[in-house]
Formats: sequence, C-alpha cells, structure tokens
Amino acid sequence: MKKQVLIGKNLSLGYEAGNQQKTILSNLDFELLSGQMTCLLGPNGVGKSTLIKAIMGKIEPFKGSIELFGSAPTSYHRDDLSKKLSVVLSEPIFPAQMTVKQLVALGRTPYLNWSGRLSDQDKNEVYKALEATKLEYLRKERLGELSDGQRQKAMIARALAQDCPLMVLDEPTSHLDLVNRYEVMQLLQDIAKTQEKAVLVVTHDLDIAIETGQQLWILNCGSPLISGTPEDLILQGEINQLLPSDKYFFDSNRGKVVMHHQTTKIEIEGPDELVYWVEKALIKSGKHLPKDSIRISENPFRIFCQGKEFTRISELIEIL
Amino acid sequence: MKSNRTAFLFLVCLLFLGLMFLLNLSLGSVKIGFSDVFMGLFTNSWEKDSYREIILNFRLPKALVAILVGIGLSLSGLQMQTFFRNPLAGPYVLGISSGAGFGVAILLLAGSAMGFTFTAISPWSTAFAGVFGAGGILLLVSVVAWRVRDSMTLLIVGVMFGAAVSALISVMSYFSQAESLKLYTIWSLGSLGGLSWNQVMILAVLVLLGALPVIASTRSFNALLLGESYAESMGINSQNLRWLVILSTGVLAGGITAFCGPIAFVGIAVPHLGRLLWKSADHRILFPGSALVGAGLMLICDTISQLPGSAQTLPINAVTSLIGAPVVIGLVIKRNFSKEF
Repeated sequence: MKKQVLIGKNLSLGYEAGNQQKTILSNLDFELLSGQMTCLLGPNGVGKSTLIKAIMGKIEPFKGSIELFGSAPTSYHRDDLSKKLSVVLSEPIFPAQMTVKQLVALGRTPYLNWSGRLSDQDKNEVYKALEATKLEYLRKERLGELSDGQRQKAMIARALAQDCPLMVLDEPTSHLDLVNRYEVMQLLQDIAKTQEKAVLVVTHDLDIAIETGQQLWILNCGSPLISGTPEDLILQGEINQLLPSDKYFFDSNRGKVVMHHQTTKIEIEGPDELVYWVEKALIKSGKHLPKDSIRISENPFRIFCQGKEFTRISELIEIL
Repeated sequence: MKSNRTAFLFLVCLLFLGLMFLLNLSLGSVKIGFSDVFMGLFTNSWEKDSYREIILNFRLPKALVAILVGIGLSLSGLQMQTFFRNPLAGPYVLGISSGAGFGVAILLLAGSAMGFTFTAISPWSTAFAGVFGAGGILLLVSVVAWRVRDSMTLLIVGVMFGAAVSALISVMSYFSQAESLKLYTIWSLGSLGGLSWNQVMILAVLVLLGALPVIASTRSFNALLLGESYAESMGINSQNLRWLVILSTGVLAGGITAFCGPIAFVGIAVPHLGRLLWKSADHRILFPGSALVGAGLMLICDTISQLPGSAQTLPINAVTSLIGAPVVIGLVIKRNFSKEF
C-alpha cells in the first residue's frame, strides 16, 4: 500500500528580493508516494532548487500549502524534520580524510547525543546502509581516494543511514559517466522499492529517468507541474513540454530526444539499424547529399554509392 | 585494529606530554635533575631551597601556562578550521589577537603618545586591557554575525576588522615614545612566564569554560564537516553553533592573549598535526588529540625558548613561529592542502 508522503496544493514559491516577492513557481499540485522513485525534470532556472528548498523547510510558500506527513516542513522542529527527510545535495563537499564508514555514520547524527557516540543500533543501521549500496568493500577507503561514482554512492548511503521515509536528491548524477548514472539511478529505485521510501530525484537525464523512474514530474516555465508515469507522459506527448524549441522532439519509437531535419529524405536501402546510423551521420555532416540512392550491406559492412564501395561511413562523407 | 592505533597514539602522546613536562621543569638557566624534580613534586622534599623556589614559583606555573595555552589555542584553532571549512583558519582569524593588542596598545602606547605614562604596569593591567580589547572586537564581529548568515562573509569581516585594528596600533606606535614602544613590542612577542598562581588559576578556569561548550558539541562539529547545508539537514542548529564558536574562541584565545600575548601558529598548525597523526576527521578524536599535541608542543617551545644552560630567553612567539612555519610549509608542499581538508 503506497502512502502519501508529500502533498503540494496550489503551491506558489519564489524568493524575496528586497521587500518584493518574486514568484518563480505557481499553482503546483503534486503528491509523492512511498515506495516510488520520482524524477523531477525541467530546464535550468525553472525553480527545481526552490521547490527542493521548500520541501526541506528552508522557505515558506507564498501561496498554497506543502505537507510532509500532514504538516508543513517549516512547522517541524529541526530534530523531527531530520528524521523525516534526508538529502543528497548538489554541492560537492568531501573531507578527504574521512572514510566511507565514517561518512555513512554521520547520517546517524540526528539520533546521537552531544558526544556523537554510536550505539549498537546505530552501527547496525550504518552497516545496513553500506550493504544496501554495496559499499561494504570500500568502508575503510578514504573519500579522497574514491571515484566520483563511488563517492556519490557513499553520499546516498549516508542519506540512507539517516533512516528517513523521504529522500531528496539534487542532481546526484550530474558529474558521473553514463554507466555510473544508470547504476546510481537503479540503486535509488531499488531503495525506494525495497525499503518503501519515497525518493525524489532532480535530474537532467531524461533517458535514464524514463528508464528507471516510476513517476516523472515535469516542471516548465509558466505551466503547471505535469506528473505521471513516464510511459503515460510519452504516449500523451507531454514529454515534449521539456523540449521548448520545435527543433527537437521525443521519438517514442526510440525512446530518446531527436532533432527535426527539414532536409530531403535520403534514399538508403539496407537493414534498419544500419540505415539509421548512416542517415544520422550524413545529416550531421552537413554536406551535399548524394542524389543517387545508397545501398548498405551487412556482413561485411559495405556502403555502395555513386558506383563506389566504402567500408566506413567516414570514407563516404569524405568524397561528398 | 584502527581503534587500537588510536588508543596507542593517545597513550604515546600522554607519555610524551608527561616527559616534556618533567623536561620543561628540569631545564633552564639552572639544570635541576629529573629525580630532584620528581622527588620535590611528589614528596615535597627538596635538595636545595633554591630548587623549591625555582620549581614551585617559577617553572611550575610557567609549565602549566604552557599546557593551558597549548590546549586552548589548539581547540580554538580546530573549531575555527571546521566551522569556516578553511585549512588556514585559526584562533585569531576573527581579529581577536589584534583586538587584545589594541587594548594593550591603548594602555601602553596611547598614554605616551599623548604625553603621559601609566606608572603601574603589571600582568593584571595588561590582562584587563587585553580582555577589553578582545571583547570589544568580538562584540563588533558578533554584530556582523547577527546580520549575515554566511560563514565566509563572517570570516572576511573578521580578517578586515583585524587589519583595521592593527592599523590603529601602527598609528599609535608611530606617535609613542621608545620606552613604551619597547614595552608593547615585548608584550606582542608573548610570554608564558611571570604569572602568579592566582593568574594561572584564572587562566585555567577560562580555558575550561572555553573548552566545555566545544566538547559538548562534538556531534555538531562532525556533522559540519559536510558543510552547513548538510549539517542543518541532520538537525544541527548552525546559528547556535556559530555563537558557540564565537564565544568559545573569544574566551579561549582572548583569555590566553590577554595573559600571555599573541602566540602565533599553534592554533593553525596543531589541528593539522592532529589530523596527520590520527588520520581522522572525527572530532571525538581530534579535540582531545589536538589538545594533547598542542600542550606538548607548547612545552617543547617553552623549553627551547629558555635556552637551557644560559640566562637568556627567546620570546615564545618567535619560537612557536619558527617551529610552526616549517610545519605549515611542509604540509602545504607534501599534500594538497585544500583537497586533503
């Protein structure tokens, strides 16, 4: 049974400049459910960070309400809030001397007394967080010696050790390579499912968000927040909201963003897969396209054009 | 295994501290043997009356002051470095030493610049002047701290206040007479000696008062290693912590500077030594560790400054800088400071 963790109703947010209120986001309605990973997508500057701040209880809404387990985040005492909501922020701060285990243990801070001494239960939670993120083998490594991907997982483990029903992550994949992006998002999805947590991830990776997220929230300037399962949003064409210019559109066949081209269609015959890439390369090259048709053969890979034979796409482009 | 190493290091440092303490008492213009010192301290039987006089009224208070100064400055430097997340922060970044200097300069220099001199200049009067000066600048910094939320802004403002106050001291020095200028210069070179038992007691109380709130918020300092935003997300009240840091450093560094003059480098270098030795960022280890290392280092510096075997002494501030500078340079060259931190 999925529980409502966070509800926003008719929410308006912004910042105060001098004594003026600048509204950035208005009329947002959303709900965040436990056991799901929700990905928040939107262009830079649309107010994703402002929304995160409001969820963290750092700013008051101008209008409407935001409720974390039934009460406004700003109304919580900081001790109670720190047991409801854990975060992974986008600012990279890593004390190089600290080991992974020590970092994860910091997640237990809200449950400790002044001395910061870990009880057996705290140690157990730290171990569980390391286990869930598959970082046990790195527990004695220092943060300065880890790769970006490992460090990001360690930060996620820290948030996990804080043992909160809601986790918010601000661009956790932003400086990771492709494989690590998938891994981190897959990990977050696992955590949401197996530990019945609500996970909200701010990300720019549309492809990965569609692949791994159970819910998408799409924020765009001047329009209300669109939410739904990725597949619904694709089929309804709502995903295109993320692509402000007409030049780009979301190709639902391929599951990715592609560019529109007004150029004349090139006639290429051959296996679909090969045609796709050859066509892509020819369009990208910007050269005059051949009038004659192109034929491609597979095994061995050959391109036939203007009576010549090519083994690589680059050779073909060169003679155009 | 790791906790074994930690405990072992603590034990070694403690033994080292004890050894340095005895060495400090034993060496000086007159050499007094270890056994004499030991017997005298624990059974109160002295070989010569002069030994008793030297140890009890001169060397023992000075050694205790060295320990207190080492503990106080190290604790205050460590909390500043963590709070400002800056490896070069120390007890004096908020302008406390300049403030204390300003107070003392008014006492020693302003009179002479205006044509009259204070006759009775005792450790008490310089201590009071130092406390007022340090307190004054702390008040200014607090007013700023109350208005700005950002700790980096606070750091810059502290450094600027220090610079402005130093400039005022320069102006006063320029117009004052040679005699009072010399007195001020000697104060600014620092001195651990010359304090009575009463003053040592007061210093001990100040160091205790300043250290308690720091130790009581070990958890917060650990959380602060990840920055203010993370610390707040884990339920730490960073505004409260900031007041605590300002107050504690004011009491520790202000009190020490008032009694002993500004003592450079210990506050910056010792926390780094602690991190190097224990290879840890955990304040549960670093607070006691830095205190131990700081106390030991001050005892060594003081022993060197007595120039064993001669009647001359070196100013303590010069010795700490002579030892501290190579340490900091070594750290900067050997490891990438900002990355390590």
